[in-house]
Amino acid sequence: MVTETSAPDITPDIAAVRPSVSGVKDTRGYATFRIVNAVVLTLVAAITLYPFVNLVAKSFSSEGYIAAGQVNLVPRGFNVTTFNAVVSDPMFWSNYKNTVVYTVVGTIISMALTTTYAYALSRRNLKGRGFFTGVALFTMFFGGGLIPNYILVANVLHMRNTIWAIVLPGAISVFNLLVVKSFFENFPSELEEAAALDGMTTYGVFLKIVLPLSKAVLATMTLFYAVSMWNSWFGAFLYLDKKDLFPVTVYLRNLIAATTGAQEITGSQDNAVQIGANVQSVTMLLTVLPIVCLYPFVQKYFVSGVMLGSVKG
Amino acid sequence: MRNIRRRTAAVATLATLALALTACSSGGDDDTSSDGASGSASIDAAHSKGAMADFKAGETFKASEPVEFSMMYRDHPNYPVKDDWSIFEQLKANQNVSFKRTDVPLADWDKKKALLVGAGDTPEIVSVTYPGQETQFVSGGQLLPVSDYVQYMPNFEQKIKDWGLQEELDTHRQADGKYYILPGVREVPDVQYSVVVNDAMWKKAGITTDPATWDEFAQDLQKVKDANSLKYAMSDRWTDTTTLGAFLQYVAPNFNTTAGWGYSNTWFNSDTKEFELTGTTDAYKQLVTYAAGLVSSGVLDPEITQNDDQATQKFINGQSAAISGNTQEITAYRTKAKDAGKSIDMHMIVLPDGPAGNYLPGGRLSSGLMVSAAAAKDPHFKALLQYIDWQYYSDQGIEFAQWGVEGTTYTKGSDGSRKLAKDVDWNGLNPGASKQLNADFGYSNGVFLLANGSSKDLLQSVMSDETKKWTNAVLAKKKLLPIQPAAQLNEDELEQTSLVDSQIKDAVYAATAKFITGQRPLSEWDKYVSEIKGLGADQLVDTYNTAYQRAQDK
Repeated sequence: MVTETSAPDITPDIAAVRPSVSGVKDTRGYATFRIVNAVVLTLVAAITLYPFVNLVAKSFSSEGYIAAGQVNLVPRGFNVTTFNAVVSDPMFWSNYKNTVVYTVVGTIISMALTTTYAYALSRRNLKGRGFFTGVALFTMFFGGGLIPNYILVANVLHMRNTIWAIVLPGAISVFNLLVVKSFFENFPSELEEAAALDGMTTYGVFLKIVLPLSKAVLATMTLFYAVSMWNSWFGAFLYLDKKDLFPVTVYLRNLIAATTGAQEITGSQDNAVQIGANVQSVTMLLTVLPIVCLYPFVQKYFVSGVMLGSVKG
Repeated sequence: MRNIRRRTAAVATLATLALALTACSSGGDDDTSSDGASGSASIDAAHSKGAMADFKAGETFKASEPVEFSMMYRDHPNYPVKDDWSIFEQLKANQNVSFKRTDVPLADWDKKKALLVGAGDTPEIVSVTYPGQETQFVSGGQLLPVSDYVQYMPNFEQKIKDWGLQEELDTHRQADGKYYILPGVREVPDVQYSVVVNDAMWKKAGITTDPATWDEFAQDLQKVKDANSLKYAMSDRWTDTTTLGAFLQYVAPNFNTTAGWGYSNTWFNSDTKEFELTGTTDAYKQLVTYAAGLVSSGVLDPEITQNDDQATQKFINGQSAAISGNTQEITAYRTKAKDAGKSIDMHMIVLPDGPAGNYLPGGRLSSGLMVSAAAAKDPHFKALLQYIDWQYYSDQGIEFAQWGVEGTTYTKGSDGSRKLAKDVDWNGLNPGASKQLNADFGYSNGVFLLANGSSKDLLQSVMSDETKKWTNAVLAKKKLLPIQPAAQLNEDELEQTSLVDSQIKDAVYAATAKFITGQRPLSEWDKYVSEIKGLGADQLVDTYNTAYQRAQDK
């Protein structure tokens, strides 16, 4: 009843949209909407962008202006000495390199495990499909706890101070697994059947037919995994004892987190750290840069990839 | 067949059990007397690898053969650890000691410490641990009851005796009567924090001497505010996580209570010999009333959630005339003011008196270290204790940890005064030098120096003249509050109280903030007291008093 009456209301709106696309003049209502839209979105963009621009400005400003709170959008007391100082710290680069290695290796492992697991789960004829899905889902809601986890990884599997402690626990994100699984489920079965009829094995179908046609979801998942791996520090904090193995996030965290918090526990000067605000800014900037550069190129897959599989049915 | 198998299984189990038991009893010596008397355990020859035969106080420690100790190292971002630091090389060459380090960034130090100890991976030396922090780990059995072994640590025993620290050390005994921490020991109490004032602004108000009392300080602020037409005379920092954390901490002893960072739920009333809930005592109310008065009269900025940078900016920009500071931060303020192109004369006021007298918080123990229980099973156990004793408690050890190597990092005059080498700086003592004593050599490092737990001479040797003068003025003026005795809670009581404790603490902090900023009128004090009682305050205090009585009756 309700839907019937509301349906005619929608149609004129859509009709109003169409002419604008084809170059016909907008209705006044729509023109207003566009202006408001543009203003609001520009504001949102500005608000989102401000902290980042501020960060960039701070990285090139002198400590005095930052302390006086006078740095906003443009660097004041422009200098690159801090930049040089951070860049010349060998530990920064060795940790940076670790982050790259962990991210690349971790993403490859995650993608290999996630796609194969998801593909198997997406086959309706898989025996024990419910069980295998359940195993994955179970981990979403229950965990062993921090210390048992630590004992498992460090003392039972002996992965402490190795790259495996960083990339293996949590290699499969269940959320990502389910997205990929539902993507594969909606994959036209005719294609696979045709390939099978031509003599392809299951692996052949998966590697040569399914994966190449799933670029959108693969790109999205790669991005998800890579970004979360790039940003992660907790695994490293737990399982790594040697500084030269730390990812750059731990380096950064030590630089920033130490300036707050420690004071309160102790009230003592020994733990009160004075790291220049511009040193923090430069480090943050250098850490976030690769992800910022990567995003625009993967972003187009990003939207389509996440939406795919969710609305088909 | 089945019978035999079962019997084999039984034998195997027994054998394993026996093995496990022997393994347990083979270490150091476990038959420590139950009364917890200090120094009751002895170490046999099997655990004396590398130890010196007759190690005495004042003697240089050198292991008879190279030993390697495992250590949880607190890595400070101001001086990131380097393997080739002089301190490591010197220790290896002169003491035969090297370390297998677990480097933990300062940012997550306490978390990782809890994790490693909880998982049973405690290294032999767990550095930078404040007295009291060890309590949470005691029941896990991972820590060595060091009080059983003090006879192997002659320097430690001597410092405790010479500096009169036994009473305070005893407050750290657990329910079993033993203590599990080796604290940093100080000859003189730690005074670092006070109010930093903008000299020009105070002179403009006609004030040239430091206030004698906190009330006078409040009047001074009013005068400064009027004379300089400021919105607020004081805008404080260290207030974003705990309201006025530093300010309340250094004012509180003069009101005979604890507050701010130093707040603890239980306060021992030395008249009634009973514990009370600090946040509901009259003294605490008086302190809160004082701070609330500063806000209501408009001299103290009620912006109590601002971060340190914001408060510092206000001070540097001349929007406020006073801010909390400490002996090192005042240097930072000067640098920041200079960088911002301003020249501001400032100084730290000598801490004024309060209504309860003229006190500093009692306590001369600072950050120390813990030793793992497993260390007692290591062949080099005795050497480990001797090294710790020498490094952290001998005059030679602490001087080495602070100043490094004579002739390389510092020189010593004939009158005993030490001077940093030309190219070495520490904390602005030698401005413009190319190297840092901590970052480039590893000395003056909290891991080896126990947060300046050391002699007065050594502490003041690294102070600027200004700081030395201020410190001596404060020390000369102030007395120490009596030491709060320990209740010695047992494991169950600890567990019971820990939940209630943090709950009440949060409620007290929240209410304190509201009372001070005036969001809640002080007329509601009684209502607040009943709220705190509703959270289990009586139960908490009763548990403490019961435990305290039990310990007294022993």
